[in-house]
Order: sequence, then C-alpha cells, then structure tokens
Amino acid sequence: MTIRTGLYHAIALCAAACLSGGAARAEDASSWRDLETKYIFGFTTGSGIGLEGEKEFTTDTIGRFGKRGGHYAATETKYEFEFTPTQFIQIEFGALGSTHHIAGVPDLDDRRQFAFSGAFAEFRYLALERTSSNPLAVTLAFEPTVRRIDETAGERVRNYEFETIINADLELLKNRLFAGFNVLYEPEITWGAAGEVQREAKFGGSAALSLRVASNVVLGGEVWYLRHYDAANLMAFTGDAVMLGPTLYVQFTRKMFMTAAWNAQVWGREIGNTVSLNLAEFQRHRARLKFAWEF
Amino acid sequence: MSAVLTMRKLTLAAACAIATFAVSPSIAQQATDIQLTYSKGQFQPSEVRAPADKPVTFRIKNLDAKAMEFESKSLRVEKVVAANSEGLVNVRALKPGRYEFYDDFNEKARGALVVQ
Repeated sequence: MTIRTGLYHAIALCAAACLSGGAARAEDASSWRDLETKYIFGFTTGSGIGLEGEKEFTTDTIGRFGKRGGHYAATETKYEFEFTPTQFIQIEFGALGSTHHIAGVPDLDDRRQFAFSGAFAEFRYLALERTSSNPLAVTLAFEPTVRRIDETAGERVRNYEFETIINADLELLKNRLFAGFNVLYEPEITWGAAGEVQREAKFGGSAALSLRVASNVVLGGEVWYLRHYDAANLMAFTGDAVMLGPTLYVQFTRKMFMTAAWNAQVWGREIGNTVSLNLAEFQRHRARLKFAWEF
Repeated sequence: MSAVLTMRKLTLAAACAIATFAVSPSIAQQATDIQLTYSKGQFQPSEVRAPADKPVTFRIKNLDAKAMEFESKSLRVEKVVAANSEGLVNVRALKPGRYEFYDDFNEKARGALVVQ
C-alpha cells in the first residue's frame, strides 16, 4: 500500500511540476524534437529501441494489489541495464527483487518479505521502422526470465518464463499523438517446494493512446485484455480480465526520465466461478513506476 | 529438466535470430558521404540530401570551442564530437523521408537529412 501511495504522490508531483512548466514555456509543438516511444504507453511497450551506442540503467517496479479477500500487495522490481548495439537491436538484462505483503488472502499463505527473486534478459529487434511517410513501427521482443520466488504467492519455487511480445505504435499526429499496441504470449513452468510442476501461459493484447502535452510530458490511457491458461499451448483456459488505466511519461533532463501507470481490473471472469472479476490469476490493481538514466 | 533445456534452446535460438538480423546487408554497400560543419552553435548546411536505400556516413566537423552531441531519434544515432575535432557517424540504408538531427547540448542547433 505504501508503494501505491508513493506512486500517486510521484505522479501528482511530476504532473504538477511538468504541466506548469510546460504551460509557462508555451511551446510550439512543431519545434519539439522526436520522441522515443518505448516508455510513453505505461504497461504497453512502444517500438523504440534507443540510439546506437546508447546505454541506460533503469529501475522498473510493478506493484500488484488486491485479491478476493484479506490484504494483498506484491511488487517486482527490475534493476536493468540496457544498450543498443546496432540501429536495429536492443538488449537488456538485470536482476529482479520482489516484496510480498499478504495477510488473510484465501489460498495464499500470510507473509511479509523482501527477496532477490531472479534474473532476466530481453532481446528486441526493430522489424519495421517509422519514416516520415510510414507512421507505423513494429518491434519483436523475447524475454526469458528465471525466478526463485513465485510472483504471486512469494513462495520459494523454480520458475522459467519466456515472454514473447510484439510492440507496435502509430504516430497519429506528428510528434504529438501516438497509439500503441502490444500482443503478448507468455508461457511459463514452475516447480514448487514439494516438487509439483505447474505449467501455465498468459496471452493477450493492449491498446494505448498517448498525447504529448508539453515537450517533456506525455499523458495517456491504455486497456489490456489478458487470458490465462493452465497449459503452455493455450488449451486449458482458466479465466480472463480487462485492465484499464492512465499513463504518464516525464522527461526530467536530457538523460533522465520516468514513466508511471496504473491499471484497475474493470471486468474479469474465472471459469467455474460465478464471482465478478478474475482475482485468482490477476489482481484488482496494478501500478508501474520506472526511472531511467541514459549515459 | 526438459523445460529448462527447452528454455535454453529458445533463448539461444532468439539470440541467433537477432544476431542474424543484426548483420545488415547495407554494410557491404558504398556509403554516401555527408559533410557537416558545426560552428557558432549551428549546423552548416542545416539541410542535406542523400539517395534512398544506401547507407550514409556523416562527417561532422565541430569548429566550436566546446563539445557537441550529434543526435537523432529517427536516425537512431548519437555521437559526442569534442571541441575542434571531427566525428564520424554511420547510418543504415534509409527509406525516403525526412530525418531530423540536432545537437543534444544545444536546443537551437537543428538540421535535417532528406532522403529521396
């Protein structure tokens, strides 16, 4: 809950500071520099892969809040190094840290912990680049991840995940209005402490719209539709959910920026259960706060 | 353990695919040379032209007494050029269009490459 409150404060402070600064400068949008689209859509990732030779360190925290009952708050933070070795490829890798604060949630053990939870790498290939005559850009990304702590329950496990994602975006108004789209397939396999094996997969997509309201501030909204399966081959469907929420991107300095987003589950279903929303496989709210330093 | 092996194979396959994509065919082509001078905080000329589908090499001569950073989001390059020196920036073969560039240290210094 502390992280969510902190996120709200960060968003409010940044929005106030940047919007007032932006209005004061009364900038002409036609004079704005091109925008890197990777982080302007919240949980939806844009097609940007950075500049050749560019390096970046980021902390990227995703918080998940709210289950069917009790108190549930979990976060996972990526401590990430990313670099762009060519004009078509971006590579990222880093460590994962997680926190879990669970009390009285059905089917989950109570716990309050912080842990080093795993490692990941990501490979991004720009398949279609935007030009002044083609507003669409598409990037293909693969992200293998290894975890020793279960993302949801916080238990000790061995988990292997292979996220495959298509990141596309469309420049609707030059340097000003952008639409983003993601298609996600995320199979994973988990060995529990007792040796039990669980195979599952997530499949889904998102659409986002972001408006650059000042040269250094982008505001928007996004919607995600996610499906969960108890098999990697998408044969054992267990439930789905729709998440909706606002996004914010702020460029603080030439080499430093942040992105924040918050999604609430507005619709969901669990197969074999008549309750509203899907809180077995997804959460009631999720939030993202990312800071990046380029060098 | 088979899943671990599968994961390793998938990761290796992805890395190989990316490495293959990374070897651009444009490397073998003759690049178009573009000379740019940076003086008194401005690019000269401020608009340059190049043919489509050929790589481009920018030769940027910084005549100012302080460093500048040649940067372009659409060209996807950046290069710091020290004071009173020259920097080379290689760009992939480009599709027709207008590609803006600027000095990242100086808001006002801007230019464009027009590819036809």
